[in-house]
Amino acid sequence: MSILQVRDVTKVYEGKVTNRAINQLTFDVEKGEFLAIMGPSGSGKTTLLNLISTIDKPTSGEIIFNDIKPLNLNNTELAYFRRRELGFVFQDFNLLPMLTVEENIVLPLTLDQKPVQVMEERLQSLVNRLDLKSFLYKRPNEISGGQAQRVAIARALIHEPTIILADEPTGNLDSNNSREVLELLSKINKEKQATILMVTHDPIAASYCDRVLFIKDGEFFNEIYRDDRRQTFFQRILNVLSLLGGGKVGDLSSIRLP
Amino acid sequence: MTFHQFAYRNVVRNIRIYAAFFMASFFSVFVFFIYSMLVFHPKIENGFLGTVPIFWMVIAEIILVLFSWFFIFYSMKAFLEARTREFAILLHLGMERRQLSKLVFLETIIIGTISIMFGILFGYAFSKFFFMIVREILMLDDLPLYFSWEPFVLTIAVYLSAFIFISLFSVHFAPERKIIDLMTGSKNVHVNVLYMKRKAIIGIVFIMVGYILALLTTRTTLFTFTMFIPILITIGTYYFFSDTAQFIVDRVKNKKQVYWKKSRMLPIAEQTFILKNNGKMFFVVTLVSTLAFLSVGLLAALSSYTSQYDTLNPLGLIYKGHINNPYEDEHIASIVSELEEKGLSYHLTSFTVLKQTSSTTGYGVEVFKESDVNNLLFSYGYPMVRLSQGQGMFIPYSEDAINDLSEKVVHTVLLENNVSIKIDQVYPKLIFPSSIVGLNSIIISDEDFKKLIHPYNGFPEFEPGYHLFTFDIPQWIETKEIGLPIQQKVAQEYLKDDYLLPYYFENAGLNYSYLLSAYSLFTLVGLLVAAVFLLAAGSFIYFKLHTNLDSEKRKFDVLKRMGISDGELKKLVTKYLFPQFFLPWGVALIHSLFAFIALQNILENIANISIVKELVLAFGFLIAIQVTYFYLIRWRYIAHVRD
Repeated sequence: MSILQVRDVTKVYEGKVTNRAINQLTFDVEKGEFLAIMGPSGSGKTTLLNLISTIDKPTSGEIIFNDIKPLNLNNTELAYFRRRELGFVFQDFNLLPMLTVEENIVLPLTLDQKPVQVMEERLQSLVNRLDLKSFLYKRPNEISGGQAQRVAIARALIHEPTIILADEPTGNLDSNNSREVLELLSKINKEKQATILMVTHDPIAASYCDRVLFIKDGEFFNEIYRDDRRQTFFQRILNVLSLLGGGKVGDLSSIRLP
Repeated sequence: MTFHQFAYRNVVRNIRIYAAFFMASFFSVFVFFIYSMLVFHPKIENGFLGTVPIFWMVIAEIILVLFSWFFIFYSMKAFLEARTREFAILLHLGMERRQLSKLVFLETIIIGTISIMFGILFGYAFSKFFFMIVREILMLDDLPLYFSWEPFVLTIAVYLSAFIFISLFSVHFAPERKIIDLMTGSKNVHVNVLYMKRKAIIGIVFIMVGYILALLTTRTTLFTFTMFIPILITIGTYYFFSDTAQFIVDRVKNKKQVYWKKSRMLPIAEQTFILKNNGKMFFVVTLVSTLAFLSVGLLAALSSYTSQYDTLNPLGLIYKGHINNPYEDEHIASIVSELEEKGLSYHLTSFTVLKQTSSTTGYGVEVFKESDVNNLLFSYGYPMVRLSQGQGMFIPYSEDAINDLSEKVVHTVLLENNVSIKIDQVYPKLIFPSSIVGLNSIIISDEDFKKLIHPYNGFPEFEPGYHLFTFDIPQWIETKEIGLPIQQKVAQEYLKDDYLLPYYFENAGLNYSYLLSAYSLFTLVGLLVAAVFLLAAGSFIYFKLHTNLDSEKRKFDVLKRMGISDGELKKLVTKYLFPQFFLPWGVALIHSLFAFIALQNILENIANISIVKELVLAFGFLIAIQVTYFYLIRWRYIAHVRD
């Protein structure tokens, strides 16, 4: 069953120079899927994520979440929709510096005015699962990048969203922390059947996913599914990327390799 | 493009960024210029304000200069802080530090010159309006607009030098920071919040003790208390913002049931950092606002006193003397001849007032004769008193007393002469000022008065009564110079421990002229100080907000993505801004409230006037201004973070 349907979405930025950022893009995301979207810089990944996050509206086409069409909602309803159905993980974590780790995690629930008891229960289970106990009362500037991203993931999970949208979650992390975060995401995906949509540049990050969708200049380019071994999946991703770069096999110029 | 052109275009094309700094400079020039126009007014030199010492106006002007220098310096600092990212790019591209300071200098001079020009232009345009207000307040005949070079030169000199010094100073003495730090912008939340429980308690205790002392202030303790209270309050306020408020916020944070509920978490957590970053500024704003409130309040009190002066002092001149006062004839004759010389019409009434002991209270009572009182009432044009034998009437000592005494019925016997009187009325208007008659004064009929042959029991230790000469003068304001030698003797005697002169003299016209000049002084100095301080207090907050706008915008972007509706965003902004605006003001308001309770106590003892109504009006006005300002800033702020 698809949880998110993107149907013929086009986004045109009007201005002095008209720019078609997304062109006739169609895909589905199934429940419990871990999907990566890859593409070179300027391919429209971030625009796509903004459209799915409902903070931007497509010029034409539809985005449907579980029969809800965010296009039909007014701004307040959209805010409520985002707060309840979507979870966000950002490249630069975007933890609020004045709140402690614990407070950052429960923030989505306080915005939604949930009872304190519910907050504490969910916080407790997340703390155990994501191993946050040692720095629960510290502030974001006192913890490492990997820890901060774990906190951000906990924040994205606490309200049990339909789908988690991750924008380059490993973009600011070193390789060890990246691995840790990616393993965490795929663990959540497996254990909790959480649906994750991740935008990334990084083929290693993409190799943790079930499926990788490639876009180029705002259009669908290719998609590949994961097989048994991550190593071969990684190799196949690299092959597609090299095609993406301009058609010459073996040319990796437009992709930032790890 | 030359360097100068670069600086010029920087200013002209970014006029919106520079607007805040420009407005701050513009307003201080504006206020300063208008005030200078008044100080240099040709009529001031001719002494139109009577005894308003020009000295005090100059002092006020100097305070104003110092304050506006500080103010410009502060806004400059905030402004430069907000532009660190821009400077970082320039430094990154290889600009020398010397060139950067030259750039800032040039820009400041450009903005400074424009704001001086506009300030003077608007100042000159509005000074007639200001003169009209001053004329109304001070009840002057005429205060014309004039043109002279002094105010212009003074304003230009003061502010141009201010801009030059401050721009050099603020760049040269700014701590050198690494470009990389400048690039990442100001991270204002890197310090852990520390507070000391001990200091937190000191803060609250000092303020409380100050308040209690203010409540206990009486005339006798006035001088010692006025020494202590400001010190206590100042220290207390400092610790209140640095520690006590943190302590309270921390207490709230420990209660999750309160803290996490109803999306309170974010606004409360922010308070910690607001207090941490702005504690010192809040302290300054509180003190400054308290001063502004005090001067506005004092002004209101004085205006209440002057407007009530006429009814409180119905008589022009009053001469009161012992029964056997040897100077009586001489003094009265000299006053009368002076009045005639001046051509002032007057109505002289002489009273013989006898003191008797009342059987009901056991204390002395001052007894007036019906026909004497009627003589005075006739000249006032008030209704006459008709008393039959055995009847008495109270003489009210204040406006309030009229109501209090009207219900009262007293049967009393004047013990010395065994005359029984039934007192069941009060005269419905003030006849004498409260300083002249005692609290227990009655009028009795002429027949009863004749029976008072035996003197007061306390005699000879106490005076058995007094002679009172009242001059009802329609043009009482012009009696300033009448009886000056007598007035001087009385004034000298007042400075001694015991008042031994057998007479007492009161000149309402003279007192009024003193009062009026004090009032004028307060109006001119107080209004100005209040206006500048209030403006500054508001601007400090504005600049602080302006500096942190970028990081605030980032915060709201995250929140918007996570999903907060427009209404919730507005609520969050309100909760974020509200304490910054109203915490210092609230504290300042409470401080001045206690100051005025003390003042009311003292005034009640001295002059028996009530300042409550005027204070409520004045403070209501101030609060209205602040609320308007709050909504204005909130509107701009929401517009900023929303897009």
